Amino acid sequence: MKNLKKLTISCIAGLFLSFSSLFAGDEDSVKVGILHSLSGTMAISETSLRDVLLFTIDEINKSGGVLGKQIEAVQADGASDWPMFAEKSEQLLAQDECAAVFGCWTSVSRKYALPVFEKYNGLLFYPVQYEGEEESPNIFYTAEAVGQQAIPAVDYLLNEGYTKFYLIGTDYVYPQTTNIVLFEYLLSKGIPVENIGGGIRYEGDVAVSAGNYTPFGHTDFQQIVAEITDFAASGDACVINTINGDANVPFFKEIAASGLTSDDCPIVSFSLSEDEFRSLPTKDLVGHLGCWTYFMSIDSKANKKFIKSFNKWLKKSAPDYVQKEGRVTCSPMVLSYNGVYLWKAAVEAAGTFEVDAVIAALESGISFDGPGGTVTTQANHHVTKNVFIGETLEDGQFEILEVMENVYGEPWLKGTF
Amino acid sequence: MTNKNIFKELGASGVILAFLMLLPILNMVGPDSGLFSVSAFQLSLWGKYLTFAVLAMSLNLLWGYTGLLCLCQSLFFALGGYMMGMYLMLMIGERGAYKSVLPDFMVFLGYQDLPIHWAPFYNFWFTSAAILWVPGVVALIFGYLAFRSRIRGVYFSILTQALTYASCLLFYRNDFTFGGNNGFTDFKDILGMDLNSIETVRILFISSVVLLFLTYFITSFLLKTKLGKIQQAIRDSENRVLFSGYSTANFKLGIFVLSAMIAGAAGALYVPQVGGINPSLMEAAKSLEVVVWVAVGGRGTKWGPAIGAIFVNLLKSYTTQAFPDYWLIFMGGLFVFVVLFMPQGLIGVYNQLKEKFLKKEGTVSV
Amino acid sequence: MYRNGFSLLFFGLTFLATIVLYGNSDERGPRDVFVDLILADKSEQSALIEEMNEFGDPIIAKIYEDWRRGKIFSLETEASKEIIYIDERNNCYSLLTGEVLEYSEETRENFNKERIARALRKQFKGLIDTLGLKSINAKTRIKSAIKLGRSQKAEYIEPLEKRLAIEENAKVKAAIDEALAINLLKNGNETQRLESVNRLAELKSIAAKDFIEKILAREIDAGKSNEPLALACSASILTIESHIRVIEFFGSFFRGLSTGSVLLIVSFGLAITFGLMGVINMAHGEFVAIGGYTTFLVQNVFISIWGIDHPMFGWYFLVAFPVSFIVAALIGIVVEKGVIRFLYRRPLESLLCTWGLSMMMQQGFRLIFGAANVQVNNPSWLMGSLNFGGFSMSFTRLLIVALAILVVFLTWALLQKTNLGLHIRAVMQNRNMASSLGIPVSKVNSMTFSLGCGLAALGGAALSQIGNVGPSMGQAYIVDSFMVVVIGSVGNLIGAGLSAMGIGMVDQLLQPYLGPVMGKITVFFIIILFLQWKPGGIFPTKSRSLDD
Repeated sequence: MKNLKKLTISCIAGLFLSFSSLFAGDEDSVKVGILHSLSGTMAISETSLRDVLLFTIDEINKSGGVLGKQIEAVQADGASDWPMFAEKSEQLLAQDECAAVFGCWTSVSRKYALPVFEKYNGLLFYPVQYEGEEESPNIFYTAEAVGQQAIPAVDYLLNEGYTKFYLIGTDYVYPQTTNIVLFEYLLSKGIPVENIGGGIRYEGDVAVSAGNYTPFGHTDFQQIVAEITDFAASGDACVINTINGDANVPFFKEIAASGLTSDDCPIVSFSLSEDEFRSLPTKDLVGHLGCWTYFMSIDSKANKKFIKSFNKWLKKSAPDYVQKEGRVTCSPMVLSYNGVYLWKAAVEAAGTFEVDAVIAALESGISFDGPGGTVTTQANHHVTKNVFIGETLEDGQFEILEVMENVYGEPWLKGTF
Repeated sequence: MTNKNIFKELGASGVILAFLMLLPILNMVGPDSGLFSVSAFQLSLWGKYLTFAVLAMSLNLLWGYTGLLCLCQSLFFALGGYMMGMYLMLMIGERGAYKSVLPDFMVFLGYQDLPIHWAPFYNFWFTSAAILWVPGVVALIFGYLAFRSRIRGVYFSILTQALTYASCLLFYRNDFTFGGNNGFTDFKDILGMDLNSIETVRILFISSVVLLFLTYFITSFLLKTKLGKIQQAIRDSENRVLFSGYSTANFKLGIFVLSAMIAGAAGALYVPQVGGINPSLMEAAKSLEVVVWVAVGGRGTKWGPAIGAIFVNLLKSYTTQAFPDYWLIFMGGLFVFVVLFMPQGLIGVYNQLKEKFLKKEGTVSV
Repeated sequence: MYRNGFSLLFFGLTFLATIVLYGNSDERGPRDVFVDLILADKSEQSALIEEMNEFGDPIIAKIYEDWRRGKIFSLETEASKEIIYIDERNNCYSLLTGEVLEYSEETRENFNKERIARALRKQFKGLIDTLGLKSINAKTRIKSAIKLGRSQKAEYIEPLEKRLAIEENAKVKAAIDEALAINLLKNGNETQRLESVNRLAELKSIAAKDFIEKILAREIDAGKSNEPLALACSASILTIESHIRVIEFFGSFFRGLSTGSVLLIVSFGLAITFGLMGVINMAHGEFVAIGGYTTFLVQNVFISIWGIDHPMFGWYFLVAFPVSFIVAALIGIVVEKGVIRFLYRRPLESLLCTWGLSMMMQQGFRLIFGAANVQVNNPSWLMGSLNFGGFSMSFTRLLIVALAILVVFLTWALLQKTNLGLHIRAVMQNRNMASSLGIPVSKVNSMTFSLGCGLAALGGAALSQIGNVGPSMGQAYIVDSFMVVVIGSVGNLIGAGLSAMGIGMVDQLLQPYLGPVMGKITVFFIIILFLQWKPGGIFPTKSRSLDD
């Protein structure tokens, strides 16, 4: 009896596994993968990217598809579980044979997916601001590199006359790397070491860590805000904030409670976009700064058309599981949008879906007029684009203070100042 | 054990072995598509499932047979994985992004030399030993402190949870020399074999099968010895064992260390098949998942945990794709259902139904 | 003659009329300048600000603040642009004249919100700070004085001295004194600087420390390290540093108190369900989240009825607090009847089962409220902080300390003074005996479990004021709560309270030295070691019965 039962279970399991290998390829369509966390802690941010990608694919399909073929989107849920990203990447490439994949948010998820993409010679478009120090032959980074976000923001602050910079971030590679690069940059601009706050750690005489770091989901910022208040006491100070995710809420609440206003000590955050503001107490954030390569408040025809089409799609054609109320657009969403169009243009330039040919086309410099302005791909797999500095308003939008046009995307900045 | 039982057991093991070995064979000589094809991707996926099965069996040794609910089994799994990971990172050599002997994450953290505790991991034999003794030593120290003070039951579980949580925080730190939040990824070779080649995938899979059966034999053997009997007696009533003159703390410690080593070995095989390791494996939630696998499969049985692990993970892979918005509710519902209505797990379903139909009566208590 | 007289009169009258009609244009007030500023473009603004500087009218600060907060609107009419100010009760006033204006709903739709450009704000800063010295609110005066002092700009010395002469409030006087001293550190002559350094040492001014250190460094560089100025600086720095240490200590103490209070509120409910009932509720964090979400919903109800700027809005928290308790208690009863009652005295199974429940509830929150965190705004009476001799205690955290005390008191009262409490204690001590005595055990079980859940929700409501409200907000506290309960000895509420405070204090005391991450890790290892020494917790139950 026991045998029979085990045998049955094994057979069912076997059928199960074989079942997943059955699929039918359609001659008139091309498959494209969407690899994001649709559940778990990262779902908050990544579902918006999934929604925009579905919209973009619908838009392209309505206007004739790519090389005459309709795009079929295959969604894979990374579930905020990094090994799952590796597994889903393999599934999208080996099983579903996707011509391109748009996805990943955290650097960890991308680092797990990277070897899979290199193994199967796939193509991944990565849309979220990151720390650089990477250049995979199989990934195109439509994301903001450090030189397209952190450096322009610091330039703006230096021009405004700020001389003291407090660095605070979450303890992982993006804030750590960004802050070391900023530390080197600030020193090169003549800011003395005492004016850089948060703590510097040296190995010998090389600085290996700059700034104050808290773990993910940290909630107790009393001590840190007390330090910032002291630091800012002498005036002309600002805070560079690379805290990721919802730890920003207790941080800003604590700042508001301490009485430090955005006029006394502005805080520029790199991980807060219009999308995150939906869940932050924006009253506490008014007057603080952000720096992205797109803001929803950009006053251009391309942007207005984009926002209008996206909202129309939400109302009429979006699937049921997509949240329809209270939507905003933000930089990672637009960079995902740009990514799909850049891929389309590259495929059309190369005349084929073959990954090597498409990559070669992208490396030669493909341009696209996106909602944030014209973006152009570079040979080093990054993208040239416009950089905007904005100030937060009470309604969670940004008022644009300054625009820097056509900034080159350079991932290898450490040690270059 | 009666002859009938031995025959049943051998039969069951044989079926499982046959099925598992079918996979790499089909991968080698089978068709490229259709019902009987096994791609490299599926083979490595099943390899991963097998390492989870071994992890579940190691917890079963502790929980099913000794009555110790350890909520840090994933910590030992991760430690073994990290040891293998260190070896694999060093094997990348100069093929990383910075073309340096040092692993990439060390270069961009500004390290000039390899930290001293990394140096011996160039040697595969040292690594293999470390995979066993590092989790073992952690278990030894923690277990010694815990069992000596007679910490039992729920307190022990909560303490193990605290241990894994603290370790997780420690490994997340970037300056802990273990890659911080990103962990280790982008491996190239193992023992000179390219990790991307199909032969290596097959070899890793077969090694996982070997480990699975090894664990099964260890479990079976242990149960037949006096040690095993004491173990189960501790599960049933520790005080009586104490009064009978046995030093239960030592027995518990022994089992704890053994199961930690098995979990470490499983972790070491997990890492090359998945392609990376990261501190999220040490989070409290992951250890709770292992408990669920054992509960669903059937705790206190020999093959139950393995089947539970494979079943739950298959279900997870399927539901994350088919129902991305609802899979957590399914999984949660499954746990609640299993605990309330299937205390003997999947293996015990048959026995449960048999009992129900034969209508045995029991005693009533408040 | 008459004709000459008439023309004289005529001219005279015209002249008078001119004076009367246009004379006011010479008397421009701050309101006129504001209206001009709002309508002007960049080039004209500096001149207008110069003009504004001439006025010393405190109304400038008020109008500026309103403009900052988005209360100024403009309306295009055929003739010109009307500048309008809208107050909390939605009444419109003309900014220029201050009189009430009536507008229909449709006209209001055409209002344009006027925002102050960042560059303009910078120019205003100095002006507003100087004006702050004249504000009726003492706190504002202190703040402005300090800002003016720290800026070390020479032009502020005069206003500071002027104010010092007429100031009556002792605290404000001290602040202006300090501000002047700091300012003179840079702008005074030699004697003034030496005096300032000594004065600042007397005042124990923390803000001045940076400045004095800079002066000291300069003196040492110039080789004057033995001169009176350098010596005074060193002495001054020492005094200030020892004062800072004292403040730091109190600061850490208060922070420890507030962290401990958070832990206490969140884990008290767990102490009851775990301690009194032997049920491990891994879904406890989700009941905390229920509290947070209920607060969010109550807040929304208040916003939809009164709007966020209305004074009534601030009361939402007082309503949300008991409502969260009730909602969570009701859900707790449902959970108990459905799932928990099969799991009494089976702690390991209850752990697993409630873990599954926790996953389902978390995903449920995501599906209902969205995966993102939701916005909960603090009521206005909770914004800001209490300043006490140099360190500040934010009101939200003071509230949490107060809530913790309230929770402990209410629970004690419930358990010791009510019948239900008596029954609960009886059932906890000996379930079967209590049942034999006629106590309705299953009812008591439900009540106790729902009490524990309700308390968890109170924790969530409190947490909504200092942190996030989201689907996984409870997960951050689950492990900590269990630690608190285990150390406090399972079943002992006083123990739970003490251990919450203890863990909070240790955590905060370690943080300045080890940083938040290492601090937390160290706390965990301390806990593990503590349990070696006292495995039963702080107050282990001494009994002769076996736990088998």
